[in-house]
Amino acid sequence: MKKRCVFGWLLVIFLTLAVGMSAFGAEEGLADTQELVIAFDAGDSKSLDPHRAATTVDRSTVDMIFNGLVRYSPGNQVDVEPDIAESWRVSEDGRVWTFNLRKGVYFHPFPGSPDGYELTADDVVYSLKRAANADHSSYAGEYTGLQFQAVNPQTVKVFIDQPISETLFLAKFAAYAGGFIVCKKAIEAKGDEWSAINPVGTGPFRFERYDPRQMTVLAANEKYFRGKPVLEKVTVRYIPGVSSRELGLRTGELHIIEGQNEAMWVEKMATFPEVAIVPFGPCEVQMLHLNMSREPFDNLQVRKAVSYAISRAMVAAFMGESLAVPIYSPAMAPPAPGALTEEEARAAGVVYDNDAAKAKELLKEAGFPDGLKTEVIISELATSYRKPMVGIQAQLKKAGIDMALKVVDHSSFHSLIRDNASPMVYYACWRPNTDVFLTRFYHSDSEVVSGKKPDTNFSHYGAVDADGDQKIDSIDDLIVQARLELDSKKQNELWKQAQIQLLKDAAVIPMIRLKYVFPMKSYVDLGHPLEFSWSTYSPQITEKTKILAH
Amino acid sequence: MFNYIVRRILQAIPILLVVLTLVFLVVRVLPGDPAVAALGDYASKDAVLALQERMGLNDPLWLQYVRFLGNLLTGDMGTSLVTGYSVGKQVVQALPYTLTLTISAILFGYIFGVPLGISAAVHRNSFIDYFNRIFSLVGLSVPAFYLGVLLMYFFSIRLRLFPVVGAGDPGDLGSLLHHLFLPALSLGLIMTAYVTRMTRSSLLEILREDYIRTAKSKGLAGRVVLYKHALRNALIPIVTLGGLYAVVLIGSSVMVEIVFSRPGLGKMMVGAIQQRDYTTLQSVMALYTVFVVVINLLTDLIYGLIDPRIKYD
Repeated sequence: MKKRCVFGWLLVIFLTLAVGMSAFGAEEGLADTQELVIAFDAGDSKSLDPHRAATTVDRSTVDMIFNGLVRYSPGNQVDVEPDIAESWRVSEDGRVWTFNLRKGVYFHPFPGSPDGYELTADDVVYSLKRAANADHSSYAGEYTGLQFQAVNPQTVKVFIDQPISETLFLAKFAAYAGGFIVCKKAIEAKGDEWSAINPVGTGPFRFERYDPRQMTVLAANEKYFRGKPVLEKVTVRYIPGVSSRELGLRTGELHIIEGQNEAMWVEKMATFPEVAIVPFGPCEVQMLHLNMSREPFDNLQVRKAVSYAISRAMVAAFMGESLAVPIYSPAMAPPAPGALTEEEARAAGVVYDNDAAKAKELLKEAGFPDGLKTEVIISELATSYRKPMVGIQAQLKKAGIDMALKVVDHSSFHSLIRDNASPMVYYACWRPNTDVFLTRFYHSDSEVVSGKKPDTNFSHYGAVDADGDQKIDSIDDLIVQARLELDSKKQNELWKQAQIQLLKDAAVIPMIRLKYVFPMKSYVDLGHPLEFSWSTYSPQITEKTKILAH
Repeated sequence: MFNYIVRRILQAIPILLVVLTLVFLVVRVLPGDPAVAALGDYASKDAVLALQERMGLNDPLWLQYVRFLGNLLTGDMGTSLVTGYSVGKQVVQALPYTLTLTISAILFGYIFGVPLGISAAVHRNSFIDYFNRIFSLVGLSVPAFYLGVLLMYFFSIRLRLFPVVGAGDPGDLGSLLHHLFLPALSLGLIMTAYVTRMTRSSLLEILREDYIRTAKSKGLAGRVVLYKHALRNALIPIVTLGGLYAVVLIGSSVMVEIVFSRPGLGKMMVGAIQQRDYTTLQSVMALYTVFVVVINLLTDLIYGLIDPRIKYD
């Protein structure tokens, strides 16, 4: 009896262990080949120079190759964490920031340096100076008023003319845009043009090959300071046709693809076996900027009529509720710091709830009893531009506003709207923080064509009388005041105050926040949660990303 | 013959010059700025201006034109305005893929189209003829890229026989052929439809000729009459068609390359248009023009091989 009992217990323990181990194996088991293929909606790479990379595919590629002094946590990019710098501190007067660099950070091998070399403060200073130079960087404007100094091989000091908050300061040094640290010796030896095609960084993956208009192949950086990546290779493919990417995912030739922000397409993809699809944020915010330099949108009543005529909830529904979320902030969208929430906008009385009758009444008061006609230039791109504008067109029609859409290719669209050629501009984008957004879209210096630094101020806010009191209306002071505010809470309040003013003057209509759609094979484990990820516009591939056995 | 070839080449020079000038002007008439396209909408105005200067876009148009022609004359296609990568190197990488695809499709078209056309002509108004005519009609009506998607769905998704992405490993012939099969079939089926139709109609016309009746009445075997007397004379329009449709196929290969994500001149050209990459676009268009001229010349020369009555003075 006793023997039987012992045998029984042993059997139970054995079975429990066996089941447990097999379950553990299934979870942790890796596929034999750790070569990930990710395909983007692009014909080619434009530049793998991190200070030039601007497209989704290029940003995603350079993100795997380079690091910054700090970085946004993969998958949940609200706060920053150490990257190349292991710590930092700011002087009492807020004018000197000191970064202590991590030891054991190595650059990838390059011709003339077959083993790479250890990064020092010289590389960091060289890289930041390069990022601040418009001849070599698209982000030079972000570094105006900053000086850099290598104190010793492991310490870098940054001097700033006007102290700013940590939120704004660290954003300039994050692993994003100008904050990526490039390899001084490689660029000095081989030049900028070579480096744009043969990037040398410190990231988890090193550049291996670029086949024009086909692919860029990256290999694991075995010396990566966070540990050797699980993936052996990452191939970034340039495939402009969504049906080709879709078929490639279904056959398993591709593991992750850039999808379509269309609800029906997402629903269809979710039905395929071994395909996981989780729309994640924030992707982009879409807004309708009303051009106050042109009739009839120089009239506040007309702009309010347009605001009342449009239902952002209906536009969101039209785009698909799983992908689009209505927004009430004219700069970014929550949870980004400083973005106006719906409750805050309602409390301030700047939500123009859809009311076609009221819109008609306002048009009548403005001198348009029979409604009005306008022609708006819009990009051919469906999800970010054409499709929502078709929805808006139908809504405006109900209020007596006959809006014709002049559809042009995307490149032409960007040129034309910067030439002030459209009375309304529907614009989709994301920016690193609220200061950048407010500055580039609403500061008078950014006014298209005639601003001191013409940029994307399509409404001409800050250069015109918005409310009809014969005075120029501007949020320039609020933008600067917020930028220099060191207290984050007060800074957020100032940003929100500026946004409320913009909405009171109906210069812009915040519409929706669209989520990213990147279907992937269910056996791909990114190694991090996918919640709020904006710096690459795609799921980030890190040293922890792996392909599970399947 | 030699004099004829030289004369044709000389005649092609003004054609090339006119086309190159048109291409040069047309790409610059397109709205959109290569610098903005390269830097993206986030770039500041200063960065855009700096890049425009670096790209040489601020130079007078005539200077850009002279530079373009001068570079072409020396065989230098320049560098991509967007990536800075040598256009010549890109062409060298892409050209074999486009040529392989087009030549495979032409071979496919002749290998299957001529026998199908012959069988349709010989069995006129029979089931075989009707089948071939319906096949040709469908082949002529369906665009290559759509056919490509259908083939991908059937052979790759359903049967899992062929890959759908890329052109395969350049060092592995098996992989290259494996990746080539479906794109070549997409283009080749269309070529087959053209060749079948032309072979049938051309052969039917010849088979009504008196000399065919004479040959038959002399007691020659049907096979000899068909292949030696009829088919050889029917070949001239078929070869002409081959020349004409080789040019069409190069055009159709653009979409097939996109659908199958294959490298090639077509994919290169579409990408260059999207990015406003003037230097790449000009060079690829110039190359297409050279193709058309060369194919037409070769077609004319092949006439002489088929029909001894044709002389080149």
